[in-house]
Amino acid sequence: MNTLERPGSRLAGCGVAMRRLAALTALAVTALLPALAVAQEFVKVEGKAGEDVPAGPFVAIAYGFIWIAILGYVVFVARGVGRVRGELDELRRKLDAAGKR
Amino acid sequence: MRALGPGFVAATIFAAAGFLFVPGLILAAPLEPVMGFVQKIFYFHVPCATMLFLSTFACAAGSVAYLFKGSERGDWLAAAAGELGVVFGACVLVSGPLWGRKAWGVYWQWDARLTSSLLLFLILIAYLLARRYGGPGARKLAAALALFAAVDVPLVYKSVDIWRTVHPQTTVVPKLDPRMRPAFWSAFLLMTVVWGLLLALRYRLEAARAEAATLRLETEDLLEAGS
Repeated sequence: MNTLERPGSRLAGCGVAMRRLAALTALAVTALLPALAVAQEFVKVEGKAGEDVPAGPFVAIAYGFIWIAILGYVVFVARGVGRVRGELDELRRKLDAAGKR
Repeated sequence: MRALGPGFVAATIFAAAGFLFVPGLILAAPLEPVMGFVQKIFYFHVPCATMLFLSTFACAAGSVAYLFKGSERGDWLAAAAGELGVVFGACVLVSGPLWGRKAWGVYWQWDARLTSSLLLFLILIAYLLARRYGGPGARKLAAALALFAAVDVPLVYKSVDIWRTVHPQTTVVPKLDPRMRPAFWSAFLLMTVVWGLLLALRYRLEAARAEAATLRLETEDLLEAGS
């Protein structure tokens, strides 16, 4: 028999209260465990679940970008070729004129 | 500047026909059971990535010829391939995240394949910027950058096998469903032809610029001598 349970002890009443408190806590935890478990789970949604992202726009944007990038580069290079060709013609004219002098 | 040869014209007609024909093959290919329609991005994403690697190697090969032998042609090839690397790199880095958004739920993951691909793209941009704005001696500095880009290519390719990653592994193409192969290989052939055409066109532009620079000097010398 420990000090808490000894009759006449000042702590005897306190021990009973502690035992009751422990029993109540155990009861509360047992009662609340299923609720806590539910809070930690992902609940299945019936029917159409999850994010529905359509694939069509992604494919269209990807292919569109590739075509535009390639065509844009062709235009960029073609313009550069045209510019240099013009410059070459002008330089050749100047060279001919300078050579005839 | 020389006129375009019959080979170039034939390849252009082939590429134009391919742009009409290949999308039909891709649409006719069976749907992938897990990813569905979005997997169709694969048919151009992978060839674009291969062209990015090819461009980087061509850029590095030209840079080696320029750095160690002083080859001007090597430098023209490197400049042309470097630009193509950026174009195809942009195609890879746009089409990939669009595919990823549907397949993984996010546009971007900092995993080994995606990060090393971005790094390769940035090195190629640095190569072009160094050439354009680096001042005297910049072409040699840029050529050195091209070598670093080439070193990154095997790392990009093998990253999916070495590290844990969300990206599909290198076994996808060898194990491709036989019914998907015609669409994939025709898209691959088309991209290779387009890459070759663009490289030839861009190389000619660089050669023409060099010719114009030489003629400009000759003209200035003649005009100075005449005055």
